[in-house]
Amino acid sequence: MERDQILEKIKIIVVSVLEHDDFDMKDELVATDVSGWDSLTHMIIITSIENEFKIKFRLKELNKLKNMGTLIELVQSKL
Amino acid sequence: MEFTSFSFAIFLPIVFLLYWFVFNKTYKTQNVLLLSASIVFYLIADWKFISLLAASGFVNFWLAKIMIQKEDESFGRRLLFYLGIVFNVGILLYFKYLNFFIQSFVTLFNYNDAVNISFTPFHILLPLGISFFTFQMIGYLIDVYNEEINPTNDFLSFSTYLAYFPKILSGPIERVQDFLPQIQKKREFNYALTVDGLRQILWGLLKKSVLANNIMVITDSIFNDFHSMSGSTLFMGAILYSIGLYADFSGYSDIACGVSKLFNIKITNNFAFPFFSTNISSFWKRWHISLTSWMMNYVYTPLSFITRDYKKVGLILSINLTFLLVGLWHGANWTYVVFGLYQGLLFIPLIFRGSALNNNELDVNKFGLPSLGDFLKIMRTFLLVTLGMIFFRAESIAQASQIFLEISSSSFFSIPTIRPSYLFIIILVFLLVEWAGRTQEYAIEKLWLKYPKVLRWGIYYVIAMIIFLFGGKEQEFIYLQF
Repeated sequence: MERDQILEKIKIIVVSVLEHDDFDMKDELVATDVSGWDSLTHMIIITSIENEFKIKFRLKELNKLKNMGTLIELVQSKL
Repeated sequence: MEFTSFSFAIFLPIVFLLYWFVFNKTYKTQNVLLLSASIVFYLIADWKFISLLAASGFVNFWLAKIMIQKEDESFGRRLLFYLGIVFNVGILLYFKYLNFFIQSFVTLFNYNDAVNISFTPFHILLPLGISFFTFQMIGYLIDVYNEEINPTNDFLSFSTYLAYFPKILSGPIERVQDFLPQIQKKREFNYALTVDGLRQILWGLLKKSVLANNIMVITDSIFNDFHSMSGSTLFMGAILYSIGLYADFSGYSDIACGVSKLFNIKITNNFAFPFFSTNISSFWKRWHISLTSWMMNYVYTPLSFITRDYKKVGLILSINLTFLLVGLWHGANWTYVVFGLYQGLLFIPLIFRGSALNNNELDVNKFGLPSLGDFLKIMRTFLLVTLGMIFFRAESIAQASQIFLEISSSSFFSIPTIRPSYLFIIILVFLLVEWAGRTQEYAIEKLWLKYPKVLRWGIYYVIAMIIFLFGGKEQEFIYLQF
């Protein structure tokens, strides 16, 4: 799957979980810059991504995520 | 040596002068000075346990280094990691919780009189700052194990990080990756930051001396004699206790941050105006931030990861277990366990209602006031927090239950027997200043900065006078016991 397609799908998930699209979907995006993306919603977003792409993350991989770019790369590496 | 003691008022300027004028050659000499000062500080505060602090530093430093040399996922790496966790948790369990757990088991066994075991608690002293420094070390080992950070080879900086006197007694629980980079380069004197630090210290002293000390005298007189107090007096006592505890611990944290700024080192701000939160989730993001972040990183995240397939049920389970530990972290008493569980339960409606409640930034009108809806939410959150504080303050569950019974009786509608009206005025003024400065690091961060110097110094002088004149009876910081 193309990187842009992954990015678009992740964006749809984030918007549906957080109920707003008040963020700029780019590689440098970090959770703390997005209103409502906190510890509680993080795991809901992660689970939704797993279900959407039919993949499974490992906790260690999630701990190493730095920003949206690394998340997209991680998803891509599992497809 | 407490921050409000006379000895600290001598100690701090000496360290400050030595740091900027004698040991200012390289970052290493600066760290040598900070480490030496921290050792002296800890020796004066609690000399008996300096070896424990040193052992903790040595063991964790070496374990992290050796652990990471083993192959990823190997048995050796895992073994060393778990040994490290057992070592740190073991220290904490022994010093803080051993008597509590044994006593609880004994009570359980003796419950139906089938057996009768007697238990005399061991005489174990609690090392100062133990809950804070062991949590920092556990966090370090986990981050190294997860390869989030590389272990440091710089033992001097690592020891300075561990023992750093502004944070050793009551936090904040600082992460290595936030602290170490700051002290691995030479710090230059920063006049603006020094002034900012002094202002934060002044504000912290005001909160502690004028608010916390005066409030705690009243709440002590209410709760130490709770049998003879009406429901209304106890309820008022609980409200005062919430504000007093906040003034006490956030006052301490302001002093800690301010002192650290004098050395051009930034440490985590532990509070962000929690009483203006519109729900409990927001409250815990603003109250004892370094502890909550630690718990979220190292307890909640793995738990919610493991239980993620159970969706909201998994989240609820994870958050409740996390807050159970938050409660227990405060001390070996069932009251803290219930306090934690109560906080966890308050999250359940939020989780079921979903994310809509996560966007809880306050909108204010042109007069700087919140909407009526937000105001009511702030009041509700404060009330829920205050009810939880009854467990926090009570010496036993039985005592807390009696207080709750009295509050829910008809005596709740009587006029409180203790009415410290002067205190209410001080609290009101304080809350207004906090409200006005709620977007800053501390309430008076930017206040008066545009005034002429003479006027500013006049204000500082007045605040110092208020601290001397109205400062309540000197009392220990509450969080020192944790």
